[in-house]
Amino acid sequence: MAYDALVVRDLDAGYGAVRVLHGVSLRVPEGQIVALLGTNGNGKSTLMKAILGLVKPTRGTVRARLDGREVDLTGRATEEIVDLGVVLVPEGRRLFRDLTVEENLVLGAWRACARREISGNLRLCFETFPRLGERRRQRVGSMSGGEQQMVAIGRALMSMPRILLVDEPSVGLAPIMVKQTIETIGALKAKLGLTVLMAEQNFTQAIRIADRGSVLVHGSIAFEGETAESLGDNHLVRQFYLGT
Amino acid sequence: MLDPVLIVNAIVSGLLLGCLYAIASMGLAVSFGMLDVVNIAHPAMMVLASFVIAGLCSQSGLDPLLTALLVAPAFGFLGVGLYRVYHHFFEQSGDEAMQGLAFFFGLMILIEVSLVLIYGADQRWVETSYGGHTLSLGPVDLPLRMLLPAMMSLACIGALFVWLRRSFTGRAVAAVAQDRDALRFLAINPIRIKAVAFGISVALAAIAAGCLIVVQPVDAHSGHVFIGRILAIVILAGLGSLPGTLVAALLFGVIENLAATLWGPAWSPAVAFGLLLAVLTVRPQGIFGGAHT
Ligand SMILES: Nc1ncnc2c1ncn2[C@@H]1O[C@H](COP(=O)(O)OP(=O)(O)O)[C@@H](O)[C@H]1O
Ligand SMILES: [Mg+2]
Repeated sequence: MAYDALVVRDLDAGYGAVRVLHGVSLRVPEGQIVALLGTNGNGKSTLMKAILGLVKPTRGTVRARLDGREVDLTGRATEEIVDLGVVLVPEGRRLFRDLTVEENLVLGAWRACARREISGNLRLCFETFPRLGERRRQRVGSMSGGEQQMVAIGRALMSMPRILLVDEPSVGLAPIMVKQTIETIGALKAKLGLTVLMAEQNFTQAIRIADRGSVLVHGSIAFEGETAESLGDNHLVRQFYLGT
Repeated sequence: MLDPVLIVNAIVSGLLLGCLYAIASMGLAVSFGMLDVVNIAHPAMMVLASFVIAGLCSQSGLDPLLTALLVAPAFGFLGVGLYRVYHHFFEQSGDEAMQGLAFFFGLMILIEVSLVLIYGADQRWVETSYGGHTLSLGPVDLPLRMLLPAMMSLACIGALFVWLRRSFTGRAVAAVAQDRDALRFLAINPIRIKAVAFGISVALAAIAAGCLIVVQPVDAHSGHVFIGRILAIVILAGLGSLPGTLVAALLFGVIENLAATLWGPAWSPAVAFGLLLAVLTVRPQGIFGGAHT
């Protein structure tokens, strides 16, 4: 039976007096990839942070269904939410630049359930990103943007997520790396049975792996596409992205 | 004409002195360098621990270095509690810059005044069985009262380095120095990690105290001799670089001792701090700093 793994309902959130999100509702069905689309400054990262408890919502709820259990995430501490299996690959990656690739990855395995599976998960990371295996002892700060994005995704995998949030994985990458990174996220979802919410500005790339998508405009959901095709056909999307 | 034996001996005893500086600085390199907690009471805590160790040794007859290892965990827990207080009243509200400094300055005065009130202004020391012995390697003299603390210092610093790279919590401490809030994305509470790390920095003060009391007698204000030096060493190293702190401490010890041998003891702080200023003019980020962003 298909169910929604993540449900955001009527969410208002912002920074101090500035309200960024206005009544955002969104659902991510279990085992699917939902693309959160929108150009710069429309509130994608703020929604990600609100789900993870880094920005406190002033109204609305965030609920997750994890291992058959309904959990209210609203108002919980970020550490606690991550410990439940909701893991974010943050904007700007937020890696530990002076630590090596392997040290960064292993830090991802802090959760008790993840510590038991470190060696298997490290192998999974190196299978997924062979480059990281070759460079496991290299300092992360000295690596290219594409490689750092691999470390960031790998570090999230080490946490053994049930629900994976990815904030603009393609930002700052060369076009070939954008394509590869997006494809990898799609492949990981299929392989691990992940539920994914992916914020992305790059509409054409995101839509290649997304099962459905929502367009965020000025902090409100302007359009929800139940299928990838319906997104491509929508006039709003055409107006915002495709310039037609 | 300079006697080469004199110079070699000055360098070797400078290295031994540098090991004492290293263990005294390492705790501050953790708290100030890695955690951004400007604990200027660190040398006062070291002196407090020296008094505690001296008291325990005179009662039990145990060796001060061994006693330091035994009291270090207690000081560690004290440090955890102290950080919780500091975090609650200063760091959390963002008042750490001036008020936090005042907090640790006040703590330093409090420790010193308490020691004077309880123990008086007299010096405290511990007699050790090896205190008067010297190991001679050819013309080089290695007094055991310097050599054994130096070895203890290096062993503890080595253990710290291994712990930071190999253990889960150790790696999280290394990470908290770089991006505190990013730890939360990994289900790690950065405040808990900082508390543990601060506890370790205070435990290191207790280890340094054991070394110190073997090397020289201590009074309530002995910390004043150290505060300038260990701040200089931590800054010279580049804030937060622990291997850099070790190298800078050894360098500092050698330069002080060479200056004392060549021109007299009055010169040694002048030369050592002159070097600090010279280095900071050329490399404001310190010798080993700069990797941090
Ligand atoms: N830390 C912050 N403090 C104040 N305003 C912020 C902060 N972060 C983002 N904003 C504002 O919130 C709005 C949405 O930003 P963001 O969620 O980062 O958008 P996106 O990720 O879609 O580019 C922007 O107007 C931005 O200026
Ligand atoms: Mg963003």
